[in-house]
Amino acid sequence: MKTKLALLSLVLTAGLTAADQPAACCAADAKPKAACCTSDEKADKAACCAEKSDAPAACCAEKAKPAACCAQVEKPKPAACCAVEVPVAKKPDACCAEIENRESKIQNFSSESLYQLEVGFTDDRDRPFTLASLRGRPVVLTMFFASCGYACPLLLTDMQAIRAKLPAEIRDQAAFVLVSFDVARDTPAALAKYREERQLDAQWTLLHGDDDAVRELAALLGVKFKLEADGQFAHSNLISILNPGGEVVHQRTGLQGGLDEAAQAIVAVSR
Amino acid sequence: MPIARRIFLVLAFVSAAAGRCAGTDPVAPAAMQTVPAGAYVPQQRSTKDPEQVPVAAFRLDTAPVTNADFLAFVTANPKWRRSAVSRLFADTSYLDHWAGDLEPGARAPLAAPVVRVSWFAARAYARWVGKRLPTTAEWELAAAAGYKTATGKDEPDFNRDLYAWLARPVPEVQPTVATAKPTLHGVRGLHGLVWEWVDDFNTAMVTGESRADGGLERDLFCGAGAAGARETSDYAAFMRTALRSSLKANNTTTSLGFRCAQSIP
Repeated sequence: MKTKLALLSLVLTAGLTAADQPAACCAADAKPKAACCTSDEKADKAACCAEKSDAPAACCAEKAKPAACCAQVEKPKPAACCAVEVPVAKKPDACCAEIENRESKIQNFSSESLYQLEVGFTDDRDRPFTLASLRGRPVVLTMFFASCGYACPLLLTDMQAIRAKLPAEIRDQAAFVLVSFDVARDTPAALAKYREERQLDAQWTLLHGDDDAVRELAALLGVKFKLEADGQFAHSNLISILNPGGEVVHQRTGLQGGLDEAAQAIVAVSR
Repeated sequence: MPIARRIFLVLAFVSAAAGRCAGTDPVAPAAMQTVPAGAYVPQQRSTKDPEQVPVAAFRLDTAPVTNADFLAFVTANPKWRRSAVSRLFADTSYLDHWAGDLEPGARAPLAAPVVRVSWFAARAYARWVGKRLPTTAEWELAAAAGYKTATGKDEPDFNRDLYAWLARPVPEVQPTVATAKPTLHGVRGLHGLVWEWVDDFNTAMVTGESRADGGLERDLFCGAGAAGARETSDYAAFMRTALRSSLKANNTTTSLGFRCAQSIP
């Protein structure tokens, strides 16, 4: 019986890997990871990979194909096999590979993934933030500066418009990220103020980085920016869409049109 | 297409070949010289920008990073080897003229400047040796010096050498760094060898026609409507601006290398 179950799990795992595009959350590597982020568990999918601490429970929730999830556990009970109270050592690889991966630095990102960038940012609550923590979600990312009087408010409005165009389940899953290239003025506190003024909810991430971090991210995105003598920045107007693996799949350039295409790009990588 | 850009294209796409190489000596600390404080006159600036940007004194490598230097870097940092580097950080022609991962080979003489390196690779190298890339302002300040004075554009023989180099196609094999004549500050090869990466290359905001002030450009770049060229006679500077603005950070070309700088505490 045990053998049969194990076999079944293997089949399930393999099937899932092919059908459910594990890349959406669990990148292109190891097969068992597919189990932790099945497509009918979109909410959990995000949770699974968003926060290390919640991931075990979330990624192996009831509907998440327990057989596959718990393939290697002694008693393949959906809730039990990945429950938070199970000692770390006993957590099945299927559930925890993702989490272990995040903790060890072996990330297995694709060669086009922005998440290879090793620089760190700080969010507007003054907490360290790595871009790789966005892994598993479609991302809408724009570089801006908070005191910008011309294009940046338009860029924010456009990001909000893109958000409004998304189907509800994808909208909830997506991350909206604003990274400031104004390293001097846009401190975490200044960004927190910006969040309040613009009434941006928890789905929005506002990031401050040092000069290196900002310059390298800008270089990867193709964003050009230059501090002008009057304290304003000349900069590219660019909204980038990243797939769950952190690859740039679409960029909307300029300030006119292109919102439908951007929304479609997000939908395409979310399925 | 502006003529500067056309020439840049010719320079950038003529490819390299042939030569001879020796052993793999570890990299000795590169010689540096102090470039005294001065003013950088941006070739392109906003109407609101001052005509001159003050630049503090800094240290600059006297020569571009060579194949020997870069070999030591990739030997110590496997992820920057040709076969291992991520496409995100270097395109497919990265070190393409080298014979192997750890073998520059005949087309990349050890004492010649390394080319086909990306901005990310150049930055990683600079960090590895405890330095950084020069900024555009620093590089241009150093490069403005002639053989005898701080303003090379007023020296006929300096200009002659500069424009003769610009007119020459990229050689099959880069000459050694020693072949370049040092300028006032004891720095060689800023002109006459290869183009060089600067840390803030992505501040050059030229789209196609650099003097255009079209609606598209204004939309692409916040603040770009005010950008304009100051001196249209400094042709070489136009070419450098065109080059920088056309590059992406993972690009590599047969005529683009780098050197390192350091701030003076």
